[in-house]
Amino acid sequence: MINLAARDIEHSLGKFIVTTMGVGMLLGIVFIMIGVYRGMIVEAEILLNDISADLWIVQEDTLGPFAESSRVHEDLKNIIYVMKGIDKSEAMTFQNIQLPSKKKPVRVVAVGYDIYGTINPINPDRLIQGRELKNDHYEIVVTDKTGFKLHDEIKLGRNFYKVVGITTKTVSNNGDPLVYLSLKDAQELQFLYSNKEIQNNVARGVVNSESLMVNTIVARVKNGFSIDEVAEDIRKWQHKSVYTAQDQKDILTKNLIEKSSKQIGLFTVILIIVSTIIIALIIYTMTLEKMKEIAIMKLMGLPNSLIISMIVKETLLLGIFAFVFGNIFSHITYDKFPKLVVLQIPDAWALFGIILVASVLASFVGVKKVISADPAAAIGG
Amino acid sequence: MNNQSAIKVKNLVKNFGKDDNLVRVIENASFEIQKGEVVALIAPSGAGKTTLLMMIGCVIEPTSGEIWLGDNMVYKNKWLAKDTRRIRREKIGFIFQAHYLIPFLNVLENITLLPQANNVSPKDAQKKAFELLEYFEIADKAYNMSSQLSGGQNQRVAIARALANNPEIILADEPTAALDGERAVSVIKMLKKIAVEQNVAIITVTHDDRILPYCDRIMKIENRGIVFHDKDAKGIL
Ligand SMILES: Nc1ncnc2c1ncn2[C@@H]1O[C@H](COP(=O)(O)OP(=O)(O)OP(=O)(O)O)[C@@H](O)[C@H]1O
Ligand SMILES: [Mg+2]
Repeated sequence: MINLAARDIEHSLGKFIVTTMGVGMLLGIVFIMIGVYRGMIVEAEILLNDISADLWIVQEDTLGPFAESSRVHEDLKNIIYVMKGIDKSEAMTFQNIQLPSKKKPVRVVAVGYDIYGTINPINPDRLIQGRELKNDHYEIVVTDKTGFKLHDEIKLGRNFYKVVGITTKTVSNNGDPLVYLSLKDAQELQFLYSNKEIQNNVARGVVNSESLMVNTIVARVKNGFSIDEVAEDIRKWQHKSVYTAQDQKDILTKNLIEKSSKQIGLFTVILIIVSTIIIALIIYTMTLEKMKEIAIMKLMGLPNSLIISMIVKETLLLGIFAFVFGNIFSHITYDKFPKLVVLQIPDAWALFGIILVASVLASFVGVKKVISADPAAAIGG
Repeated sequence: MNNQSAIKVKNLVKNFGKDDNLVRVIENASFEIQKGEVVALIAPSGAGKTTLLMMIGCVIEPTSGEIWLGDNMVYKNKWLAKDTRRIRREKIGFIFQAHYLIPFLNVLENITLLPQANNVSPKDAQKKAFELLEYFEIADKAYNMSSQLSGGQNQRVAIARALANNPEIILADEPTAALDGERAVSVIKMLKKIAVEQNVAIITVTHDDRILPYCDRIMKIENRGIVFHDKDAKGIL
């Protein structure tokens, strides 16, 4: 049988291509938005995965240290360390700070860790220049996105910090770039007050004990011990909230997924509806332009199924080519977006399925027109 | 062999509209047309020529009466066949004043579309199409689009298309109106030849007295009924 859809498309190829490219761009944007969402989830877990702690011990009744603020004593790491089943435990701080820069201050999350400790939050695979922290003071490792170069000096609080290492793709759960400081420096930045205040306190005889605080203790569990049981022990004896790596991921992504999936989901749905309407409109006008021919085909006795399959095939071809173009478009542009865009094949297939369904729906307007066409109208009286 | 009935119409009535808007077009028309016969249908504009043709062609539903195509009764106060389109597809060829070729198909595809819908293999359909194209002396245009052909060439393709499904009946509504005198005569000669050679019944609506001599009989709508005239009758138009 003659492929009527292909012939008709060939006949109005220019229009068809322009339409597919337009719809394809919309689909490409949908694909990129899904990619942004995937990227956010990936980013949310980077820090957790780099630290790869089994347990996060935080202030009681908080969802710390990322979702809620948490303060625990640095000493707690020693208490945890001697508990049954614990292999390693370290204190860490996390805080939002602004790095002064010539152009615009850069918002970052500073990770403070014990440079002599056993758990290192810097993933060596992501360290692309320089080295890790070696000195207790005034060294900093920054993410390349902050714009700082090796050996730059950055003023934080009262001191200058020297950039000794550059990491890449290290971001906090919110997507802010990470910087790494020694625990001592980080504590000073987070918990020490201004010079004036310290002078005041000294004058009043108040000893600052805040500098011995941290935001969390991270721990790894020995092989052969149940992480859940060890966590339960700590909860019972130390009156702290304890989260497993999975709990922590859930805390971070739950909020994120709820908020962003709603937002991005809504955008996606709207764009898909818009694409469907555009496809439907195009198919409708393409069908209207063919009404004379359709009436003639009906008059000659061609079955409806043949004419309907022409319309549906045209719509599907439009959808499929738009999808292909959208894919090309998104792969060309995805790395130009400031946010991490993760294009995943299963998402592409899901989008493909949705487009096929949308195309079939869009073809209904054309099909309805075909069914209602009066063959006697072909000859116009 | 020319004594078999191809079309038989009995007490056919067609009204359009209802009540105040009622338009009576055909009343109690009865006639019979034999296979191999070419019949001219003439009447003033608005008399119901196209309407009558389309009722025979199972396109427009009559108000009441009976229609036979060949041995089959297709209408008796309602359509007797479930799928009237199938009757058209298998038994009837239509020709119009305009060629109505499908613009996105080439000449060959236009001609083979209907046979293929009748499950004729593409190969056989093409063979038949080329026979017809050669007969009409436009085989060299087989792969051209309709827009690349002249008016006369397109009309010949349209006639070839109407013949492609080996119809028992050809219904032509002013097939020569768009053609100049010479071409009009050549088209009616062709139709006459097909009627004789293939035993096809042809009704052709016309306003053109140059083509009447090639018809076997002249059918006229008068006072909403059918009257036959001798083809040599003078001043009939
Ligand atoms: N769908 C319709 N609804 C109402 N009236 C109609 C309809 N179709 C045709 N008519 C009327 O029926 C009558 C016959 O129309 P028809 O088209 O058959 O005439 P015709 O003889 O073919 O005329 P012409 O030579 O101009 O083509 C006309 O009066 C027309 O107005
Ligand atoms: Mg007419």
